[in-house]
Amino acid sequence: MRRPLFPSRARSKPRVWSPVAIVLVAFATSARADDASQWVAHVAQAARQLNYTGTVVNQIVTPNGGAKFEMFSLVHMNENGREYEKLVSLDGPAREVVRSMGEVRLYFPDSKIVRVVPRTFRNAFPSLSPEQQKSLTQYYDFKIVSGERVNGHAAEIAVFEPKDGFRFGHRFWSDSATGLLLKARMTNERGEVIEQFAFTDITVNAKVSRAMVEPSWPAVPPDWQVMETAAGDVAPNETGWAVTRVPPGFSKVTEGFRQLRGHRDPVAHLVFSDGLVAISVFVEPFTAAPSTLGSKNQGGLNAFSVKVDDQLVTVMGEAPAVTIRQIGNSVVRRQ
Amino acid sequence: MNENISRLMDGEVEVSELDQVCACLKTSDAMATWTCYHVIGDAMRGSGMPLRDFEVRFIQRLAAEPTVLAPRRRPVAAAATWGWAAAATIAAVTVVGWTAMSLVGETPAAMAKAGEATVVSAARARPAPVPSDYLLAHQEYSPSTAIPGVGPYLRSVAAPALEQRP
Repeated sequence: MRRPLFPSRARSKPRVWSPVAIVLVAFATSARADDASQWVAHVAQAARQLNYTGTVVNQIVTPNGGAKFEMFSLVHMNENGREYEKLVSLDGPAREVVRSMGEVRLYFPDSKIVRVVPRTFRNAFPSLSPEQQKSLTQYYDFKIVSGERVNGHAAEIAVFEPKDGFRFGHRFWSDSATGLLLKARMTNERGEVIEQFAFTDITVNAKVSRAMVEPSWPAVPPDWQVMETAAGDVAPNETGWAVTRVPPGFSKVTEGFRQLRGHRDPVAHLVFSDGLVAISVFVEPFTAAPSTLGSKNQGGLNAFSVKVDDQLVTVMGEAPAVTIRQIGNSVVRRQ
Repeated sequence: MNENISRLMDGEVEVSELDQVCACLKTSDAMATWTCYHVIGDAMRGSGMPLRDFEVRFIQRLAAEPTVLAPRRRPVAAAATWGWAAAATIAAVTVVGWTAMSLVGETPAAMAKAGEATVVSAARARPAPVPSDYLLAHQEYSPSTAIPGVGPYLRSVAAPALEQRP
C-alpha cells in the first residue's frame, strides 16, 4: 500500500529574489533586533506561498541518545491564496496528514482512525505578538550565516543561540533564492542535536495539481472511526489558574478553556511563548493514574505532570526540562 | 544485522564483536543498508547529494523489513503512560516494546500481539500512534515548529504521543 514518490521535476524554474531576502542579506553582518522576527515572518511566508514537493527526513533523538528517523513525502500547493498540503509517512503504515484551507485531517490507516482538526485562526494566520518579537531578540543571539548549501541549494542559516539555560538552540537553513525552509535543528543545553528535520530532495516552484494534495482516502473511509479533536481555538477566558514563576522571556500568549475529546470537563489551556517556542499548561480534574505524573521527553519536546489539589496539571513545550518543571511547580489557583 | 550496522556507524560495536559485524557487511543487502544509513546521515548533516533513486530503494527495502516485537518487562508505573518512544527507526528494526503499545488504548489487539513476541512485517505490526489531544492542542502555538505549515504534524504522525488519560 505504498504510494510512489512524486515525480521529480526539473529545478530550472525561474526564481525571483524576494525583497525581504535581499534586505536580510544586506543586514547579514549586522543583525539588528527586529531582523529575527522579520526572518521568521519571511520564512513562514515562503512556506505558505510557494508550491513545492519533496522528501523530508525527521530525526528525533531519544533520551538514551539513540536516533529515530522517519521519512515523509510532502506536497504543498498555494492556489490563489488557498493552501493545500499533503504529508505521507513513507515507512510503516502510510499515515497521512492533509491540510486544506486550514482544516487538518490525520489519517491512521493502521488503526482506521481519522482525526479532524478544524481550521483555526492560528493555523491560518500565524504571526508573532509584539511581546514575542521582543523576547526573540532579547533572549536569543540571532545571526544569519550566508554561503551555505543544503543538498545542492544555496542556503543561509539563521542561528538562534539561547542566552540562558531556559531555552534550546535553534538553527534554520533556508533556500537563498526563495526563503523556503530546507532544514531545521534543535540543540539542547549541551549543544547536542535533539531534533531535526531536513528535505533530502526538494523541488521548489514545482508544478502541482489538486490531485496531488487530495487525501488518499475518502473524507471518512467506510469502517473508520472519526475523532473530531475539537482542538480548535481556545475560547479566551480567565481560567482561574496562574503561573507564579514564569521563566524569563516567556509571556502569556493565550488563556482559556478547550473541550477535548473524551474529557468530561473543559480543560484549561494557558500558552506561554518566547517568540520561538511555546509552552502549554493544561489543567483538568485529576482522573488519571498516579503514574501519569512526572517528566517525559521526546526529542525537543518535554512534558511534566503534577497534581495540584484535585487537579492534574500538565506542562508541555519545546524547552529544557528545567523550564517545563519550573512552570509546572508554580501553577497555582489565582487568588 | 541492521542493528549491528547502526551500532557500527555509531561506534558502539565492541572490539570483540568487530570481526563478526564486518563479516556480515559482505553481502549486498548489508552494503545497501550501510549506504542507506550514510545517505540519510549525510542529508541530516547537509553534506553530500541525495541519490536519485534513493527513495525508491529505501521504500522497497523498508517494505521487506521485519519489525521485531519483543516485549520487555518494565515496572508497571513506568509503562502505564510512557508513550513517547518514536515508533519507527529508519531500519524499522526498533524493538517496539509494549510501552509504545500501551499509549494506544484503542488497539488492545496490538498489545496482545506484542505479548506473543512475534516477528511481523512493519506495515502490519506497528500500532497506530494516535496523538494526544494535548499535543494537538499545543503544537500550533510553537513558532519554530509552525514555520513549515505542516511541520507541527510531523511530530504527531512520526511519533506516538502521550495519552495522558488512563
